Amino acid sequence: MTEGKPVSKVLVLDDSPAHVEAIKRFCDDHNLIGLKVRRNRLLNVLRSNIDLGAILLAEDYGGSVEESAIVATQIDALRPELPIILRRSSEPSSDGLPDALARAACATYVADDMTPLRRMIDEYIFSLDYPNALVRGIAEITEARLDALFPGMTVRCETPCIVRDQIIFGEVFSLIALESAWCRGYMLLQTSEQSMLNLIGEMEPDGAPPDFRELNGMLGELTNLVWGAFKNRYLGDAEALARHPVQVPLIVNHKQKTISFGGEYPQLCFKYWVTNPESGKSVCVDQRFVFSLSWSPADFTESEQDVGTMVESGELELF
Amino acid sequence: MAKILVVDDSSTVRDEVAGFLRNHGLDVATANDGKDGLAKLKATPGVRLVISDVNMPNMDGLTMVEKIRGELGNASVNVVMLTTESSPAMKERGKAAGVKGWIVKPFKGDAVIEAFKKLAG
Repeated sequence: MTEGKPVSKVLVLDDSPAHVEAIKRFCDDHNLIGLKVRRNRLLNVLRSNIDLGAILLAEDYGGSVEESAIVATQIDALRPELPIILRRSSEPSSDGLPDALARAACATYVADDMTPLRRMIDEYIFSLDYPNALVRGIAEITEARLDALFPGMTVRCETPCIVRDQIIFGEVFSLIALESAWCRGYMLLQTSEQSMLNLIGEMEPDGAPPDFRELNGMLGELTNLVWGAFKNRYLGDAEALARHPVQVPLIVNHKQKTISFGGEYPQLCFKYWVTNPESGKSVCVDQRFVFSLSWSPADFTESEQDVGTMVESGELELF
Repeated sequence: MAKILVVDDSSTVRDEVAGFLRNHGLDVATANDGKDGLAKLKATPGVRLVISDVNMPNMDGLTMVEKIRGELGNASVNVVMLTTESSPAMKERGKAAGVKGWIVKPFKGDAVIEAFKKLAG
């Protein structure tokens, strides 16, 4: 694994121990985390928040190519946004595959030559190059604001990952547009209502129990703080931005627990765990960045202020 | 009669800032956005200090300050912005509108309470 670079989770559906071992080595070398699941739990797992980047499916998974085709069709129906990369026994192309399998799989490779798999991972998972400074900066900004809003709690950030699925995490989320000259998109902050209410309540044990309005206020302010700091550090030329006023509608389906940004875009995902060290209770805040409107990392800039004029946040600067 | 008006669309911030100031013996009123801030200021002539966010719906904080000076003709009330914004252009607009000070969130009450007491007279 490359330290500091986002990883991605791939679901490995392969009955061959030898091939699974080869895939495990491949994952270790390419910033992937391989996950396995029993066949009878597959669909339930795919409906849950496991933040997948892709599926690695064997041509003979389940014992035959016909069985593998059934699985691929089910996955494609449930999670069409997840790329299915198919391992074949000998033929590197999709020639000779049952129609259902050929339609569901976005790419194929053979175990003897994993080079095409590397290309597919880059094309279907790591299709956007996120500058290391951006990834580090986002975690730094957000951890500091979580610290400020939840004094006395410990904050931990998991390794960032690239996600393709569109499942909403938790029950409450905020959504705010990110606008700069070199990227345009959205930031989501998602959390579980009850866990967050429990933590807010523990912060003020002598007060009245908090309700969802306080939670909304807290999440709104966290969003505002992170968004403001992101804007200040990474905002580009405001005039360039004015030339691109395009917006697209965002679709949230509460019944299916999905959100769409107008297409199938990868999401840069961060998970933060805020824990009360006294009770041990935690809440997870899931943060996603979807640069669906514009992305040019070659123009990435980070603003640096002169040391002489820098005023610390929280300090009063008198004019 | 309130001497300080806290203007922010976030109830979390209003409660935090107003609560802190009240714990230090100050009289505080609150408003939800720039439009509400103007209305509350008109209705509360004793206000000496306005602490306001910038990014708010209905009317942003800097537009509110410009209207305080212009439409209300109130040149004497001190205004401090408490905001996530830190761009030089934003601060220049604030200065031009007669903003007295600028704080980049998060709010740290102990660092600013003495200054606030002075500004609130």
